[in-house]
Amino acid sequence: MQITFWGVRGSYPVPGAATVRYGGQTSCVEVTSAAGETLIVDAGTGMRALGNKLMREATQAQHYHVLLSHVHWDHIQGLPFFSPAYVAGTRISMYALLTAADELQQVIGGITRHEFFPMSLEAVPAQFEFHQVEPGVDFDLGSFHVMPIALNHPFGSVGYRVDGDGSSWAYIADTAPFDRVLHKQHFLAGPEALSEDDRIALGAMRDALVQRLEGVDTVVYDTHFTEDEYRRFPHYGHSTPDQALEICAAARVRRLVLYHHAPSHGDEQMDRIAAEYLRKGAGVGIEVLTSFEGMSLPIGPEPELDRGAGR
Amino acid sequence: MKLRFWGVRGSFAMSGRDFLRYGGNTTSVELVTDAGERLLIDLGTGATELGKKLMGAEFGAGKGKLPILLSHTHLDHIQGLPFFTPFFIKGNEIRILGANPTAGASLEATLQNQLAPHYSPLNGLENLAAGVSIEVVTPGDTIAVPGFQIITAAVPHGSMWSTAYRIAADGQVVTYLSDVEYPSVDEPLEIALALARGADLLIHDAMYADQDYELNRGWGHSPARAGVVVAERAGAKKLALFHHSPDATDDMIDEVVARTAARTTVPVFAAAEGSYLDI
Repeated sequence: MQITFWGVRGSYPVPGAATVRYGGQTSCVEVTSAAGETLIVDAGTGMRALGNKLMREATQAQHYHVLLSHVHWDHIQGLPFFSPAYVAGTRISMYALLTAADELQQVIGGITRHEFFPMSLEAVPAQFEFHQVEPGVDFDLGSFHVMPIALNHPFGSVGYRVDGDGSSWAYIADTAPFDRVLHKQHFLAGPEALSEDDRIALGAMRDALVQRLEGVDTVVYDTHFTEDEYRRFPHYGHSTPDQALEICAAARVRRLVLYHHAPSHGDEQMDRIAAEYLRKGAGVGIEVLTSFEGMSLPIGPEPELDRGAGR
Repeated sequence: MKLRFWGVRGSFAMSGRDFLRYGGNTTSVELVTDAGERLLIDLGTGATELGKKLMGAEFGAGKGKLPILLSHTHLDHIQGLPFFTPFFIKGNEIRILGANPTAGASLEATLQNQLAPHYSPLNGLENLAAGVSIEVVTPGDTIAVPGFQIITAAVPHGSMWSTAYRIAADGQVVTYLSDVEYPSVDEPLEIALALARGADLLIHDAMYADQDYELNRGWGHSPARAGVVVAERAGAKKLALFHHSPDATDDMIDEVVARTAARTTVPVFAAAEGSYLDI
C-alpha cells in the first residue's frame, strides 16, 4: 500500500509564496494497493490535481471510491473539479457520515446547487453512489478493509483505518482532542462546561480510537494547531502535534504524519514544526513526518535490504 | 480612488510556484476613495488576506464598516466569507449586497446554506459576531454606499446571471465585468458597453486564452479578446484581464497579455494579486 498527499492544508486553500513547499491545497489523500487499486480519502481542493493525474493514467472510465471524513467545505470542495467526473462511464462511490441532514445525496449534491456551481452532480456524466458509514461498522472495498472511527469535531466526523497488502494506516482528521470540549450538534462560540456524561463520552471515544489504532503502521493526524493556537481556539475541533503524539504513543503506532496544517502556517514555520516533532517523536520511539503536497509514503515496514546483493 | 487586487483567479484557488506572480487566490477586489471609504467586490479566497490586514485598523477594534458587492454566489466568489476575520469581531458593520441568485434561492438563503452545519462549523450567519446585513440588489438599480455611486446590471453567466458594477468615486470610474459570457464575443451586449462607457479601468473576465475558448463555450466565461472588444467600443481607458483560469500559469498569462496587447491600442494588463492601482 502507498499513500500520496494531494492536499495537506486545513480550512481553505492558501496560494502564495509562503506555501510553495508544503502546499496550499486542502485535504485529499490517494491510497494505492500493490495490485493497483485506488482509494481516495477526502475531496478537498487537492482532488483537482489528483483527478487530472488519474485522467492521464486511465485508459478507460474507472470506478472511484471516495471516503469522506465529513463534509465541511475544505474536505469536499474539490469534488466538482475532479475531471474524471466529466467522463461518461465513470462511477464515483462516496462514503460519508450522515450528520445534520436527512440524506447524504442531498448534502453532497448540495455543494453543486445552482447558486454555488454551474453544473449539478446529477447533470455530471459520472454516475454517483452514496453510502452512509457508521463508526465501528467495517467494510471492504476491493482488497482494502476500511474501519470508520468516530472523531470529535463540530457535528461529527469519522476517521478511517485502512488495512491492505498486509499492513495498515489510518486517517484521523478532523478531530479535537478528547478532554476539554465535546463536539455535538450545535454551534460552539467557546468551550462549554463538560457534564459527567460528556466526560464519559469523550473517554469512550478516545479509548475506541486508541484501540482501533493499536499497532497501525502509519497514522495521518489532524495537527492543525500549535499548542498556543489550541489554547486560544479549543472549540474549533482540531488538534496539535503533541496531542496526536500522545494518542499514537498509547496505540503504539510506528509512524505519525502531521496533516491538515493551519492556513497561517507558512513553509518556514512548517519546517520548524517538522524538526521539533521529528525530535520529540524520536524520544518516544515514533517516527514523525510532516506531510507536504506530493509526498508519497509506502505503508508498512521498510523491505529488508538484501545485504548479499552487489557484493 | 485606489484599487487593490486581493484575488484574481477564477473558479479554483491555485497554489504553487507556477502561480506566484499573478496569484492563485480567487476573486476579491478592494476600492478605497481618497477620503478613505472602502468597498470590497467579491469574497473569494483573496478576501482572507485583506481581512487579516483590516484587523490591524478599526475592524480589529469592532469599529469597522464595510460594504461588500457580490457579483454572484458561485463558490469562488464567496468561499472567503467564513474566513474573513472582520466578521468575527462584535461591533463591525458589514453589508453584503448582491442579487438573488435564482428565483428560488434568495441571497440570504444561499449564504445561510453555505454556512449550514454540515458544510461549516459556523452554522449560520447569525453566529457571525459582527453586524451583518444582507441587501438584495435588483440589477439595473443604482445604489449608493458611502463614497461610491454604483450602477448595476445583470449579465449572462452560463446557466445564471451575474451582476456587473460600474463604480464611480472621486470623479473616476471602475467597471467590474467578471463572470460574463456574451452570446457572441464580437457583439458584446449593449448593457455591458453602457456600464463600461468611458471607464478609467475596465476589469473584465478573461478566463480563457482566445485559442482555448471554443472548447469551453457555455461555462459562462470570456476569452481575453472579449474584454478588448468591450473596452474599444465603450471607450474604456484601460483594461485589466481578470478571473484567470486555474490552468493558466504565470507564463501562460504573460503570453495572453502579450497577444492581447498586440492587437489593441487600449492599454492592457493582467490583474495580479497584491497589486495597487491609482485610478
